[in-house]
Amino acid sequence: MADRKTVLVIDDASLVRLYYRSALEEAGFRVQEALNGLEALERLPGMGADLLIVDINMPQMDGLSFLKALRQCDSPIATIPALVTSTESRDVDFAAARAAGANYYIAKPVNAQTLVNFAAMLSGVPR
Amino acid sequence: MPLILKPREPSAQLAPQTGDGLASLASPDEDLRWTAARAAPDIPGSAAPLAAALRKEASPRVREAMFTSLARMGDTAAAVQTLPLLRSDDANLRAGALDALRIMIGNTRELLPPLLQDADVDVRVLSCELVRTLAGGEATALLCEVLQRESDPNVCAAALDVLAEVGQSEALPVLAACALRFQDTPFLAFAFQVTADRINGHSPRNRD
Amino acid sequence: MDTRHATVTEFPPLTEEELDRLGDFLYRRTGMVFAENKRYYTERRIAERMTETGCGSFPIYLARLRSDIGHEIELLINAFTVNETYFYREDHQLQCLTSNLLAERIRGRNKEDSLRIWSVPCSTGEEPYSVAIWLLENWPLVDRYEIEIWGSDIDTRALENCQQGLFGRRALQRLSPALVGKYFTPVDDEHWKILDELRQSVQFSRVNIVEPADMRRHGKFDVIFCRNVLIYFDDASRRVAAENIYENLLPGGFTCLGHTESMSRISPLFEVRRFEDAIVYQRPQGTNHG
Repeated sequence: MADRKTVLVIDDASLVRLYYRSALEEAGFRVQEALNGLEALERLPGMGADLLIVDINMPQMDGLSFLKALRQCDSPIATIPALVTSTESRDVDFAAARAAGANYYIAKPVNAQTLVNFAAMLSGVPR
Repeated sequence: MPLILKPREPSAQLAPQTGDGLASLASPDEDLRWTAARAAPDIPGSAAPLAAALRKEASPRVREAMFTSLARMGDTAAAVQTLPLLRSDDANLRAGALDALRIMIGNTRELLPPLLQDADVDVRVLSCELVRTLAGGEATALLCEVLQRESDPNVCAAALDVLAEVGQSEALPVLAACALRFQDTPFLAFAFQVTADRINGHSPRNRD
Repeated sequence: MDTRHATVTEFPPLTEEELDRLGDFLYRRTGMVFAENKRYYTERRIAERMTETGCGSFPIYLARLRSDIGHEIELLINAFTVNETYFYREDHQLQCLTSNLLAERIRGRNKEDSLRIWSVPCSTGEEPYSVAIWLLENWPLVDRYEIEIWGSDIDTRALENCQQGLFGRRALQRLSPALVGKYFTPVDDEHWKILDELRQSVQFSRVNIVEPADMRRHGKFDVIFCRNVLIYFDDASRRVAAENIYENLLPGGFTCLGHTESMSRISPLFEVRRFEDAIVYQRPQGTNHG
């Protein structure tokens, strides 16, 4: 039996984290949460995360700053796939996310099915 | 006992570099800019120069110090200078501005209602977050107004996240009405339900 | 210190939603997460606080907590995490000091440059004296380097305690009898005095962590223990204090927080370093003039 994939949800909105958690757990993922990029950087080593879902606007460290810092880490966590979700959806926002190291970008509000589909795709779960 | 611990006055005492006050905000030396940023609250009228310097500042720690200073100043002048940064294309500046405004909004709450009606949807989203620091009754009133007039789902989502934490029972009818408008947006249907549950979680007999 | 009351008012059990609100607030503010299996324990602590503060209902208490009236956040967290001070408290950080931190700090350093370690706030002195004893007992290179240990606090009465070096049974509970015998002399059945050489080897001073000038006059340090204070400051003070700590660290210097604290709720100035024994925060290497 394949190991369950672990998803780290990085978002300062508690309702978003709750919604993503219930959708992902129902789909068989293990879910961890962080409130901002700093907490994510602190807890990622040793977490065994297979996928990150990253909001952009968060206190203390926004999602793009987090991704840039992550991609520069000299550690296996640097290459974890990252799905960026954000309320902003202009071309400049997509471009900024890609430049920061996002693997994909979807605009909020995200519905559960879309989230699970992308999570499966980006974390390598066969569907 | 072998431990040699020589008590003495600290050697290299850190005297702050005496730059020319605000002029040092543009210094090529990062440490001078840092010191100038930290000292700015002691200089009258420094909010505008700080905000201007922020837009050009490349060092994250100097930006952080600049936002701290704006937050400490905490008056309307400082808030008015910080607000435009909420519109920045730079996520780091937006986050910094929001963190600073969170600290200031208690003294500058008259700035909130126009922000919550700003033409820019991203500004409205971020501004809902500023309501979180207000007392429950005031926060509920402001966010109910938002929900009643708002057409953007992400602004509603931001308002709900705050109401879930601090909302009071007078929000319930507004939640019910707004939920109907967004019943086809799965995340919002979820958020309305959870928010109502959290507000209802205070059973009437518990309240004074 | 026993803070239980003879009578704790019986409140209705907290609903899921009330616990969620409290949990969300504490998580956002401090990073702390309630253990799911400790629900009864959590409710008891909250009931204690509600009794103590005279809050007749949970919504009233939560409002008080959110506004941090009377430092309620600190008092609530203290109710969960016994916050006594004693020797070798959080010794995993001391272990990290000698296993990892000092090794990095001495790399490329002249032996004449002292290693400087700061305990701030130092309270009644257990922490800085613990550092001294730990180094003597556990650092093989303790004879090869000059080490300055400073202890600072805002409370002058606590500082008097530090200077006196007198400690009771509870403060020494984690030290083996051998260590107590080696570094303390008994004064009476209940008190021990730390040896003079040790007492004189820690410098004490008064400081307000939020005051840049106060902090600056202490110079730069290799390691700063700043435990159980930053997370309780209001938002603005927390930022200023973190910036002060940053200034007081040498480039590459380390700071250790309390075990319920995380820089993720305090400041982005530091890089997180995870070692086997502890998570610590590091001022990035780079230029330093101020």
